[in-house]
Amino acid sequence: MPKVKTNRVKYPEGWELIEPTLRELQAKMREAENDPHDGKRKCEALWPIFKIAHQKSRYIYDLYYRRKEISKELYEFCLDQGYADKNLIAKWKKPGYERLCCLRCIQPRDHNFATTCVCRVPKHLREEKVIECGHCGCRGCASGD
Amino acid sequence: MAHRLLRDAEADGWERSDFPIICESCLGDNPYVRMTRAQYDKECKICQRPFTVFRWRPGRDARYKKTEICQTCCKLKNVCQVCLLDLEYGLPVQVRDTALSISSHDTIPKSDVNREYFAEEHDRKARAGLDYESSYGKVRPNDTILKLQRTTPYYKRNRAHVCSFYIRGECTRGAECPYRHEMPVTGELSQQNIKDRYYGVNDPVALKLLNKAGEMPSLEPPEDESIRTLYVGGLDARVSEQDLKDNFYAHGEIESIRMVLQRACAFVTYTTREGAEKAAEELSNKLVIKGLRLKLMWGRPQAPKPETEGSEVARQQTAVAHSGLLPRAVISQQQSQMQGPGSQDHGPAMHYYNTLPPPQPERTFYPSMDPQRMGAIVPSQEGSSSGPSGSSENRPPSEQQQQGQHYAYPAMAPPHGQYYSHYYPPYGYMMPPPPYQQYQLPNQSTVPPLHPPPATQQYQQHPVQSGSTPSSSAPVPPPAPPSSSGSTPGGSAPPVSS
Repeated sequence: MPKVKTNRVKYPEGWELIEPTLRELQAKMREAENDPHDGKRKCEALWPIFKIAHQKSRYIYDLYYRRKEISKELYEFCLDQGYADKNLIAKWKKPGYERLCCLRCIQPRDHNFATTCVCRVPKHLREEKVIECGHCGCRGCASGD
Repeated sequence: MAHRLLRDAEADGWERSDFPIICESCLGDNPYVRMTRAQYDKECKICQRPFTVFRWRPGRDARYKKTEICQTCCKLKNVCQVCLLDLEYGLPVQVRDTALSISSHDTIPKSDVNREYFAEEHDRKARAGLDYESSYGKVRPNDTILKLQRTTPYYKRNRAHVCSFYIRGECTRGAECPYRHEMPVTGELSQQNIKDRYYGVNDPVALKLLNKAGEMPSLEPPEDESIRTLYVGGLDARVSEQDLKDNFYAHGEIESIRMVLQRACAFVTYTTREGAEKAAEELSNKLVIKGLRLKLMWGRPQAPKPETEGSEVARQQTAVAHSGLLPRAVISQQQSQMQGPGSQDHGPAMHYYNTLPPPQPERTFYPSMDPQRMGAIVPSQEGSSSGPSGSSENRPPSEQQQQGQHYAYPAMAPPHGQYYSHYYPPYGYMMPPPPYQQYQLPNQSTVPPLHPPPATQQYQQHPVQSGSTPSSSAPVPPPAPPSSSGSTPGGSAPPVSS
């Protein structure tokens, strides 16, 4: 048999420290994926997925950029392996988007009149105070509130 | 990527439009509206052909509304694309057709192929520019329809629908639920069907409206034959005396129009009883001035009758009687004081005219007994002569006064009434017209123009009140010495203390 190239994962150092949390989050995600949809609206069933994805990315972003507890190598490793969403993190680095919930909410193509989702509007500028955006169930991700 | 149409839209005859045909209520109160347009998005609820759907939010607290029927169907019946009510009157199709005796009931086929064919034919004709005999613009509005029509937009129908989960008690959305958390109103009116509403058949709302129209009370003339005054209620700042005049002159010669803005009402007096009756007949329930539906009723005689019907009625009587200037306490007091002809009667009755009551010398029981009250300029015996002469000069006000006086004092002699016409028009707190002031000026030195009885201070406050209108208050000074409390402009009468 010819040599089949496999992709064997080589974990960089520091991985053992973050691995438990990441595994936990992964398990949570699997749970959310397998949840029955009874009693929930169609869009509501997807909200936990977005929420957990946000959580995972947030964890890694915080470790590297805020707390600076992991090395660049480990950080890039996590991004490559798919433990965090690098596009979402790219938005968090921009001013005004520090708390962005998901990438759909800022996509004008997905909305009527080429606007963004209502969850991006700060609470003091909104008329209805309590909302859950349809895409990800976000209640308000403007940097001010 | 090029957007390729799967079918040639023109060939199919599907409808395309640029703006919806909708009524004011459906468009909303906000002058800024963002509307999405989706070609061929849905099928028309009536003819099932694809058409352009417009979707917008008619105001801040409204749900999103979208066009439900296509423009072809809407033009056939001249209705709004969303609410299916008539564009001009805001009424259901059945009501409008019955009221205007239009029957396009049979011309529009309702079933299958016939309907499609009819709709497409009509559409093609319309697009080709042939003016379909849209008779809706040409029909003259008749009384019934004017009675029933909606004059202002009705935004309550734009509210969100009732949350069906809440009705079952299961709404888990809580505060963010966009639907109304109220119990729905059930009843016969809730079973509506869009096709029935469109074709004007078996529509419960329409039936209810038609029943109500049939029962609308007509204004019978009152038994008292001398009443020639109509009470017009529901006035606004927009309605002017000129508007009233324009509306009422057609039925008879108007003797006077008195507007009481404080009470949002006016009194239109005709010279003849027939004129008043004619006006009442023609205008009752149909009086709409500048979009404001006005209530028309007969004026009530100002002789205080014990009204037991209810505060509304009593209040109205009060309004009629006092033009809103005296509190009801005063009126009831006056009513209780009402006796046979006599100075006592005379005195309180003066309140109605907001005039000073004549002085009450010891022996005179009738105003005609007192020369000064007959219009004496100088406290001499000019009185009785000036009375009639004054009346001949000023026919209309004296007549109105006469009539007004007739209201209050059936027993009183007319000349007395004419006297008052010089100074205070009936029902009125309005200033006496300037010419009359000539009478008053010379009077000032000798007798205060309103001849206040020395003993009754209360009466003096009336001219004060009426004199508080800024323009011509000068020639009618508050009688200085006896007048005690300051005048309260604008009609809040200090309690009469007698």
